[in-house]
Amino acid sequence: MSLERKKQTLFKNKYRYLSWILGFLIFVGPFSLLTRLVYMVIGNISLPDLHTICLRMPLDWVFSGRVYNLLGSPIMTSFTIIVLITTLLVGPMFCGWLCPVGAVSEALSRLAPIPKKFRLHIQDPNITRNLRFGFLTGFILVSILVGLGYAYVGSICCRYCTSSVLQNIVNGLFGNSLAFEYWHTGSILTLIFWLLVGGIFTFGGRGWCILFCPLGAVSGLIHAIGAKIGFYRTVKNEEDCKNCGSCSDICPMWAIGSDNSIERTLCINCKECINRCPSRAFSMIWGRRKKSDYVDNEAS
Amino acid sequence: MQRRTLVMLAFITMFCLTIYSGAYASSLSKAEIVHFWVAVPAGNVTEPKTLRGAGPPINMAPIIIDLDTRGLPKNLLNPNVEAISTHWIYNLDKRPYKLGLDLINTHFPVEWEVRSEWPYDPTTHTFTKPLPPGQRIPGLSIDWIFKIPAYYMDEQVIYDGGLLIFDADSGQPLTFIPIKIVRGGIIPSQGGLGSCH
Repeated sequence: MSLERKKQTLFKNKYRYLSWILGFLIFVGPFSLLTRLVYMVIGNISLPDLHTICLRMPLDWVFSGRVYNLLGSPIMTSFTIIVLITTLLVGPMFCGWLCPVGAVSEALSRLAPIPKKFRLHIQDPNITRNLRFGFLTGFILVSILVGLGYAYVGSICCRYCTSSVLQNIVNGLFGNSLAFEYWHTGSILTLIFWLLVGGIFTFGGRGWCILFCPLGAVSGLIHAIGAKIGFYRTVKNEEDCKNCGSCSDICPMWAIGSDNSIERTLCINCKECINRCPSRAFSMIWGRRKKSDYVDNEAS
Repeated sequence: MQRRTLVMLAFITMFCLTIYSGAYASSLSKAEIVHFWVAVPAGNVTEPKTLRGAGPPINMAPIIIDLDTRGLPKNLLNPNVEAISTHWIYNLDKRPYKLGLDLINTHFPVEWEVRSEWPYDPTTHTFTKPLPPGQRIPGLSIDWIFKIPAYYMDEQVIYDGGLLIFDADSGQPLTFIPIKIVRGGIIPSQGGLGSCH
């Protein structure tokens, strides 16, 4: 991408990139502004960090039958429910606009000067979708087996935790050298697959989000349902489309196929396609199906 | 290859990879950052035992960490540092306790990383507010990080001690969990859920 194009992208998506910074400040320690506020209100004395509002563990508890944990961790549970409800209404905007884990890997990918040909990119959204839901199905089965006490399977939710890895890196950068000292195999693999393979060497920098995030996969399903009902979604007007491929060339979630259709279970309403399209073929709509909505990949 | 086959193959591949990740996570959880449960009073935990009385059943056992069974990335990149962790300390007695913690017989640096929603004094490793009967310490996360000097790494038994939980008011021991860090040849810990909660 030329420097001029990069500047344009930066300017047009400025609210999204500012939102990444906001997400970082409200969720990641030592700031954790939102969680800190909630803690102040309820009189909690501990210092919150990104792990305080892990959005994957409640899913793990539900699938493993340890539902009682939801009541024991009301903040995590509430955050997860809020994220899933907003996903139904406005799409997975948490993933695209606020999640610090996805934001860091996408930002790193955009900053790293790696040619596109050296980056992983699956251009068929159907394959990507099946990879994503193959993972989610495996995640659910592993959770069920863990819940049943099957000793040969361990929880993948916490062993490969991006939130912990990100928080440790930030803690280290803020002077806690201990955070850099201990790495277990799971955290080393997570770092490699989240930032290196899934970030720098993946087109769009969201390889982890696409392939290994259970919340992202569940959000994708909920968004597909929400879009069918008529809630907020990205659509393409076929009449305006010049088939230039700019949209699939910018989508960080590989949600736009070679026929320029939008795979709903992958789309995170990030608006990158809207801001990139030279013929303004993309837009966001609310309400029941319109003619301009025909290009959705309704098979999802 | 037909597109339909490719799509199905993608699903199956990712499904199998995820199940394998779960199996790998299970093997890792017995040797790397082993998570364990604590109940007080439980006496000297010389063999696996299950205690009931607050929340879910609490499984306790001596902790044996075999460094040789850790994952390859860990052994290659970060071999000299190992950790154990707990998120669960329950009071099963009928009276409240101000709980103190002590790691016995350490002969190399061990860092304590304690986060808790219960008042805690890091200088004495004591929870300064009595924990009522039938309750757990809320929002707890304790990591003990063992920084093993290189010259100990070839020993068969690197650490042989344990975690003592005592009544900080009277000094009376409540629970002792033996902890061993070894290199090969010993059956590893049966604890370790590999899950945060």
